[in-house]
Amino acid sequence: MPQMGVSVAEGTIIEWRKRPGDWVEADEPICDVTTDKIDVEIPAPASGRVEAILVEPGTTVAVGTALARIDAEAKPGEAHPDENAANGGQAAAEPAAEAAPAAAETAPAATEDAPTESTAAEAEGPPAEHAPAENGEEDRSQFYSPVVRRIAGKHDVDLEQVKGTGVGGRVRKKDVLAYIEAREGAPDGRTERALHIESPYRPDEAEAARPSEAGTEAAPAAPAAAPPQGVEELVGPTRREPMSVMRQAIARHMTESRRTAAHCTTIVEADFSRVAARRRELRDAMRRRGVNLTYLAFVARATVEALQEHPRLNASVDGTDIVYHDDVNLGIAVALDDGLVVPVIRRAQRLSLEGMAAGIADVAERARAGRLEPDELQGGTFTITNPGQFGAVLATPIISQPQVAILDLEAIVKRPVVVEGADGDSIAIHPMSYLCMSWDHRGLDGADAARFLGDVKARLESFEVSG
Amino acid sequence: MTAPEAAAGGLATAADGEAPSGNREMTYLEAISDGLRTEMRRDESVFCLGEDIGAFGGAFKVTDGFVEEFGAERCLDAPLAENAIIGAAVGAAAEGMRPVCEMQFADFISCGFDQLVNVAAKLHYRQGVAVPMVVRLPSGGGFSGGPFHSQNPEAWFLQAPGLKVVAPATASDAKGLLVSAIRDPNPVCYLEHKGLYRHVKDQVPEGEHAVPIGEARIARPGEEMTVIAYGSSVHLALRAAEELDEDIEVLDLRTLAPLDREGILASARKTGKVLVAHEATRTCGVGAEVAALITEESFEDLDAPVRRLTAPDVPIPFSPPLEQAVLPQLDDMKEACGELLAY
Repeated sequence: MPQMGVSVAEGTIIEWRKRPGDWVEADEPICDVTTDKIDVEIPAPASGRVEAILVEPGTTVAVGTALARIDAEAKPGEAHPDENAANGGQAAAEPAAEAAPAAAETAPAATEDAPTESTAAEAEGPPAEHAPAENGEEDRSQFYSPVVRRIAGKHDVDLEQVKGTGVGGRVRKKDVLAYIEAREGAPDGRTERALHIESPYRPDEAEAARPSEAGTEAAPAAPAAAPPQGVEELVGPTRREPMSVMRQAIARHMTESRRTAAHCTTIVEADFSRVAARRRELRDAMRRRGVNLTYLAFVARATVEALQEHPRLNASVDGTDIVYHDDVNLGIAVALDDGLVVPVIRRAQRLSLEGMAAGIADVAERARAGRLEPDELQGGTFTITNPGQFGAVLATPIISQPQVAILDLEAIVKRPVVVEGADGDSIAIHPMSYLCMSWDHRGLDGADAARFLGDVKARLESFEVSG
Repeated sequence: MTAPEAAAGGLATAADGEAPSGNREMTYLEAISDGLRTEMRRDESVFCLGEDIGAFGGAFKVTDGFVEEFGAERCLDAPLAENAIIGAAVGAAAEGMRPVCEMQFADFISCGFDQLVNVAAKLHYRQGVAVPMVVRLPSGGGFSGGPFHSQNPEAWFLQAPGLKVVAPATASDAKGLLVSAIRDPNPVCYLEHKGLYRHVKDQVPEGEHAVPIGEARIARPGEEMTVIAYGSSVHLALRAAEELDEDIEVLDLRTLAPLDREGILASARKTGKVLVAHEATRTCGVGAEVAALITEESFEDLDAPVRRLTAPDVPIPFSPPLEQAVLPQLDDMKEACGELLAY
């Protein structure tokens, strides 16, 4: 309520000439006010769009009270959310010439203050998704900056799927990078993720090369038998999705391995006290060299050493032959978002503990980033998998063909154990874990497996760094 | 690092008792003085000329004590005639001397414009004659100096091929860039922001210390956006980054001609969002050139329009509140950064 003469202290609104959403020019009468002396037209103090009327007709307020709010940032002719909702669909369906009067009905201010052409053009304009958002921000969810487009193109990202956090819902560089990271897994390896899922996967290329697989290649895993009539109703609502190529391959290889190998699983329990102590001892120095020393690296190192003493475990079954391998090409199962891959660390017998830790981190990181070379997924002679991350304590993994065994490192948990001391037995708390190994009874027997596992266990329980 | 030659009988202002190759905390002003003194001790052909720089020691006391140490003939008081000062320097430089001219205020360089842009800048191109001279330009506002004592004229000289332009933001760079400017075989405009003279203090290497011309400096590393600045705006950007507590990179250009293209583009490509900030006016300023460079060379790395924070195209007002309104302030910097971060 403006000051209208020295002695006027208050005024009463008679009538508003503009409504919220209307455009008003500076100095254009916006409302009529009566005071005890005179009736006056109140001019708008600025050009803009009337956002809100704060004082209703008939109300008396003191001088200085805000009567209405004008959005001075608004542009004439720009659609107001209300106008757009009222006209958008209808006007767009009509010829431009008719759109103008249609708009005029619901938005008189627009036709008063803006040329008819622009109103018509506005009505023809893009549909609601390009209208200003509720908070007044322009919708920029469809605008993609050069860098966002380039990254999306490079990584084959459908930008419609990326949620924008920038102004007006704009997809920022960080949004698309986060999307890619979520899709492909953290490339920087800051978070150590589980290296395992139950069983390894080998790519198609390797399989296609093997004649024994040729017959099964065309027949993916047998489809589940069609459920009997009526069961669907009992199951309730469902969703059906095709398997990814990787999922199909895993299904095929695992079924095939189950059919091929005579699976047995042997389990030993190992005390990780020495490993834990050694890890504490070495960890900081290795970290400074950029290597994250994991329990898995210790197990891998002990396994590789033991494999050299137990060649039957580092072998393949080929028909009626057993093929012994001189090198230990160690497969490490790496879990992906949907599926897993088993990159191979070649000639792992040459690696020290630190080299092993670095090698595992390297292949795991590249596996998650999708940057492994096809050759790196082939030629393994023994596989280690590590589902302990999720707290699993026992598993019976499936062998990756044509290898004869797969070792599974489970969760390392503190357990009460009986220890023998000079004063007799006592109970102590030690970090313990089960080493579960599935092996192929075609190629070896239970005694071989137990001796091998015992060797691994002994090495872990008296761990010394060699090399 | 070699120690400076002993100043035989001179005023040993270079921290008596400290190791000659160590660092010493200096103000920006002291660092300029130290750089000038170091070069004058090292090289007999270096001399200064300017208004009131001799017995009086200069309007801002950069050459305080120079007459006593080097004699009046190496610290020449000149008449109030910038064209003559620069013209004399061009002649001396062409003859193999290394003159350092002081404009009492950068604003006055317009009086010496012809000698600088037409003679000094083109002599090597036309006749193969090197002109190893420096013009010191006390620039910048913020102290109610009005329209004749507050300007930032650097952009004029970016349009005169043959000139180099440097604008240090720290005391260490103030010394190091002055030393490099003196040793450079080309005419170099040396912008020294008056607002930094006594407000900026940092560790400056004593004795030999040269900062290469043409290399920007990452004053603060960051990932989310880059503020490209120089002179006083570097400090504004650093403070804004601290107060906003955001991952903002601050690139201190240090040299404006030739621009460190690689440094600028590397930072722009990394963050994808760039604010170019300077106290000088907007149109055809350094910011315009930097923005154009980035859009030309790294368009596909941009995640936001390159924005500028500058003074508007107006003279610098005398009135303190008006001057504050014209010169970019900390809040302006924070707002500009905030907008780009949110973009």
